Amino acid sequence: MDTQKIEQITLRVQRYNPEKGGKPHFQEFTVPSSKGMTVLNGLIYIKENLDSTIAFRTSCRMAICGSCGMLINNYPHLACHTQIEEFHSDSLTIKPLPNFHIIKDLVVDLTPFFEIHKAIKPYILRNDLEEMENPTVEYAQSHQAFESFLQFTYCIKCGICVSACPTSASDKLFHGPQALAQCYRYCADDRDDGEQERFPVVGTDHGVWHCHLAGACSESCPKGVDPALAIQLLKRRLVSRTLRLGKKELPATTAPPPAQAKPKIPFPEFTVKQAK
Amino acid sequence: MRYTYLWLMQLVTGVLIAILLGIHMVMQHLEDILRFFGVNLNDPASWQSMIERSREVIWAGIYIALLAVVLYHALNGLRNVILELTPSAKTERVVTRTIIAFGIIVFVWASYVPIALLSR
Repeated sequence: MDTQKIEQITLRVQRYNPEKGGKPHFQEFTVPSSKGMTVLNGLIYIKENLDSTIAFRTSCRMAICGSCGMLINNYPHLACHTQIEEFHSDSLTIKPLPNFHIIKDLVVDLTPFFEIHKAIKPYILRNDLEEMENPTVEYAQSHQAFESFLQFTYCIKCGICVSACPTSASDKLFHGPQALAQCYRYCADDRDDGEQERFPVVGTDHGVWHCHLAGACSESCPKGVDPALAIQLLKRRLVSRTLRLGKKELPATTAPPPAQAKPKIPFPEFTVKQAK
Repeated sequence: MRYTYLWLMQLVTGVLIAILLGIHMVMQHLEDILRFFGVNLNDPASWQSMIERSREVIWAGIYIALLAVVLYHALNGLRNVILELTPSAKTERVVTRTIIAFGIIVFVWASYVPIALLSR
């Protein structure tokens, strides 16, 4: 009896096409399920065999691209990283990520999300533009300095933290945990000089100061990033810069590129004779 | 950095409320605890004690300071709540100006009482 239950799973998928009008509604699909099958596999089965009009995003199928974020049984997950058997249920409800506009079915509009991400300038900014454009040396970063922001570099921009955030739900102008955590990630990088450009963007009523510290972002992140921690560290950094408190961090030192520092290793001889 | 200062002030006023309200509570409503430590205030909640306190500059100062920090903390918090629920640049302008005007009026009106009692 149990084996039969595992063999079939009912996926209740929210369908909605704004171009056709109407309201979001649920459509049920019965999908054969097997051990190790992910929710994304189920959706792909529906698209290939049951209803080709169903819309969802997917790309890498290995929790790296961040395309397939969706609400599965009322909790945001990456569909490719969530196995059906985790839920111990013969029915799953799948909805698009909340706090985003729906384009179609499970596809949400991530444009505002990436606009805010772009606004915080998520790349290394330095005052020496000439060195940035035509680098002559490398920045030597210590392990300690690297580890201070390492976990925040694991963000895959899937939007799950924003969909879980209660502040993003009530304040449509809130920057969201993803952008704020990335702001901290670059400000904490000792190769970066961009605080003065980023702080006016995030130090606003709808930026870092509006975080309620609910912690839902950290709870839901599929990559184990802790954006709530990053936001608190960003607040501390903003206050210490504003009041000119705290130790001044030394910038990353420079070192000649390895190619100049070490002699080149000679290319080994071929061990197998090449065909002439 | 204006918003950073606004938020920092929210934290500072929160701490000041805890201190000033703590003084008020201990001196007026927790006299049994003070009596346990050997301090006798002779019925601090009576009318006579209140009038005597109102003639002391330090008490007038404490109450005016408490009024100021409570007004800032409460009205800035209210402003944040309103702006979160109705986010727009126009709302922000209107809400900020209204709340500043309301805060100034309430502060002047309410601080008049301890100042008037002090000058009697």
